[in-house]
Amino acid sequence: MTRFLLKRIGLALITLILLSMIVFAVSSILPGNVGRSVLGPFASQESVDQLNEQLGADRPLLSQYWDWASDAVRGDLGESLTKQVPAWDLLRPALFNSFKLALVAFLICVPLSLLGGVIAGLRYGKATDKSITTAGLSFSAMPDFVTGIVFILIFAVWLSWLPVTAQAEDGANALTQVKYLLLPAFTLTLVLFGYIARVTRAGMIEALDSDYARTAYLKGLPSSVVVRKHVLRNALVPTIAVVAVQVGYLVGGLVAVEFLFNYQGMGLLTLEAARNKDLPLLTAGVLVIGTVYLVVMLLADILYAALNPRIRFGGGE
Amino acid sequence: MDRDTARRIDEYRRHEAGQLENNLFDELVAGEMDRTEFLKRGAMFGLSVGIMGSMLAFVGEAGAAPAARTQLGRVQKGGILRAGITKPAGPVEPYLLNDGGALCFAGQAAEYLTFTNPQGKILPWLATSWKPNADATVWTFQLRKGVKFHNGKTMTSKDVVASMKQYVSAKGSNAGLTPFFDAAGVSAKGPYAVVFKLKSAIGVFPYLVSQTTYQAPVQTAEDAAKPGQWAAGGFVGTGPFKVKKYTEGRSADLVRHSAYWGGPSPLDGVKMTFFTGSAPLVLALRAGQVDLAMQLSPQEATPFKNNPKFTYYALPTSAHRQLCMRTDVGVLKDPRVRRAVALSINRPQQLAKIMLGAGQVGNDSPFWKGFASTDPSIKQRTQNIQLAKALLEAAGVKNLKFNLTTWNFLDHPDHAASIQAYAREAGIDVGLEVMDGGKYYDSEPAGADYAKTTPWLNRTCSLTEYGARGVPNVYLTRAYMSTGDWNGSHYNNPEFDSLSKTYLAAAEVSAQRKATKRMNGLLLRDTPVVTDYFISYTTAGSSKVKNYVPEGLSHMRLAKVSLG
Repeated sequence: MTRFLLKRIGLALITLILLSMIVFAVSSILPGNVGRSVLGPFASQESVDQLNEQLGADRPLLSQYWDWASDAVRGDLGESLTKQVPAWDLLRPALFNSFKLALVAFLICVPLSLLGGVIAGLRYGKATDKSITTAGLSFSAMPDFVTGIVFILIFAVWLSWLPVTAQAEDGANALTQVKYLLLPAFTLTLVLFGYIARVTRAGMIEALDSDYARTAYLKGLPSSVVVRKHVLRNALVPTIAVVAVQVGYLVGGLVAVEFLFNYQGMGLLTLEAARNKDLPLLTAGVLVIGTVYLVVMLLADILYAALNPRIRFGGGE
Repeated sequence: MDRDTARRIDEYRRHEAGQLENNLFDELVAGEMDRTEFLKRGAMFGLSVGIMGSMLAFVGEAGAAPAARTQLGRVQKGGILRAGITKPAGPVEPYLLNDGGALCFAGQAAEYLTFTNPQGKILPWLATSWKPNADATVWTFQLRKGVKFHNGKTMTSKDVVASMKQYVSAKGSNAGLTPFFDAAGVSAKGPYAVVFKLKSAIGVFPYLVSQTTYQAPVQTAEDAAKPGQWAAGGFVGTGPFKVKKYTEGRSADLVRHSAYWGGPSPLDGVKMTFFTGSAPLVLALRAGQVDLAMQLSPQEATPFKNNPKFTYYALPTSAHRQLCMRTDVGVLKDPRVRRAVALSINRPQQLAKIMLGAGQVGNDSPFWKGFASTDPSIKQRTQNIQLAKALLEAAGVKNLKFNLTTWNFLDHPDHAASIQAYAREAGIDVGLEVMDGGKYYDSEPAGADYAKTTPWLNRTCSLTEYGARGVPNVYLTRAYMSTGDWNGSHYNNPEFDSLSKTYLAAAEVSAQRKATKRMNGLLLRDTPVVTDYFISYTTAGSSKVKNYVPEGLSHMRLAKVSLG
């Protein structure tokens, strides 16, 4: 297991280094100019050039990358060119926000999806199964900003039960913060429900159809025991990988949801950095999202191994 | 008119008034300007309310004399106004101010020497009066006494001079004032007077130190000496609200500045929430989570119009779009062809369609009807497909085809598509090229010579937005004159340049109008730019917001606002 973990961590570090290089390289071909982003389209070219020189944005890309990477290995993620403050000062609250939203969404979405998938699997081919599958598919097919607007109109504008924006006041207690996050969390739940429930359902059907489940039934075990002790353990293994992948999306990919609920998370921050060609902020943002993603994948692998003896005892592979 | 008034005017004209003030009075007497324009111009030349009242009484307009203070509605004290504004795009530093969000936020804390009101009248603000020399190359501003900064310091000429010097000399400054004077051109004359020696005569200079030049607020001399440190120092200004807390990208909490020179605000404070887009702002306003939106498009604001829970605001402004057509190269080089394009557009219909009527029809010049200097007698260009076709034929152009380049912003894509449809009626085939803002305003390819390659200044035909101004000076000097660095049509007409210089130096409205009339004539003939509409500033707020008057820029003047 230790060898397995070390290997994964090593691969993760290489991935992150490559990721930072790719971001720098790709950004160089993007249109845009930092000085002009700050000063606006109508600023004189002289002012823009002066500001770019002052910010170091006019240096060769390799030199910019080298300086950024040298600082990054020492834990300094550089300074945002457009905001002119340390990148970490912008990333920290955004990351915290993203984690909060991801957690609330996760706590609602995962149990619901698992439950939906398990029920659909148990009721395979029946009306309940068809209803869950069709509803899940419909929700997933709907873009998140459409679902979000519908929720806002119903729960915030018409019923006035929940706030439109997801950002609670500073110092708000945990319950209030959750209240503010409910609408985006529900939106994300609808988006993810169909996918997670379908994978769970497929795992359930496969596990229920397996020899070990049939043997357990033939042994005379009650249905609830068969499902709890034998079927679920195996059926949920593929679901873990699927859920882990969604964490990366929830932390770094919620641009539309963050925009709609005016929530300052990692998705909007990195998008803004890309638009403004703010390379240090963009690279640091992608790196942070990448790190979160890799850590979650690692945790998923560990969980996967814990649930699946073939992996656990297979020499760490 | 009584004898006292006549004596007072006579004494004023002989002993106090300069050449410009006397010309102004002559124009009023000769009936060359109405009372509204007289008040606008009088305020610009720093004439006192009493003198203007006497002058109006002299010509039988006593009733038009300005009241000492506008009567406000019933004021209820207390409460926190929740304002939704656009997220500041960059650092909120006075010398870098550029976007609406930063301007709106900074405008609560910092103020300008003068103030251009929504009717285009220049008002005393941190300066109480101003006076030009005979040729309007030197302007002396008297500062308001007893103005306190948020840190308790009293504002003096030292602060104003240091601020102005920063704006024209800081490295990387947005340089809104640089074309008009340099660091050596601004000096103190005692503790409460500042002298500006301009690079050339400017008859409307007081407008240029109002909020319509974004990068001109007054900071403390200490902050002004360190460009880039205003935010770190706590956003210290003289404004009605001081910043208690600023959370980057999210919100700002402001509290009443009790020692505000204009009297403390009825509000306890303002909570500003920064919005990345207008859609969530509209929803938040509708759900009652914000009380007032900084600015909304007509499409977003109009639904609030007939809802008693909300107030809809629409204010005509000089903001407009410029459809620039290259006059030096390409298929639009012939002025007849450009006129044909302009004649194909049904302006009233286009305004109704694209801006839902929130604006005024344009006449292919930057001379908005609200400017005192605009001659009202110029004939409005209207759609004439037959003439457009005839012009194309006369120019020997068949199957005219070109691309219209713009960027994905506000009404631009719809506006461009509408022009495309109208042009088709005249047999002109317009292709659309809608870019991302970063590409439209960058050099092409990145790193190339900006002036020679950026799409907005070099495409055959481009559609670009221009914000509201109190006077058309910036439009003329930068977008129309051959030396202008925003001259997207590459217009080069020595006669126009010469008339522009005449206009810029003219202080009397009659001289300005004479120049703008001829300039408008040249622009209609040459049609380097189509300006088919001027845009009203639209927004909405809760009906419990009282005494709010939008300004036409992104500023939100909240000093007198209360919550009912």
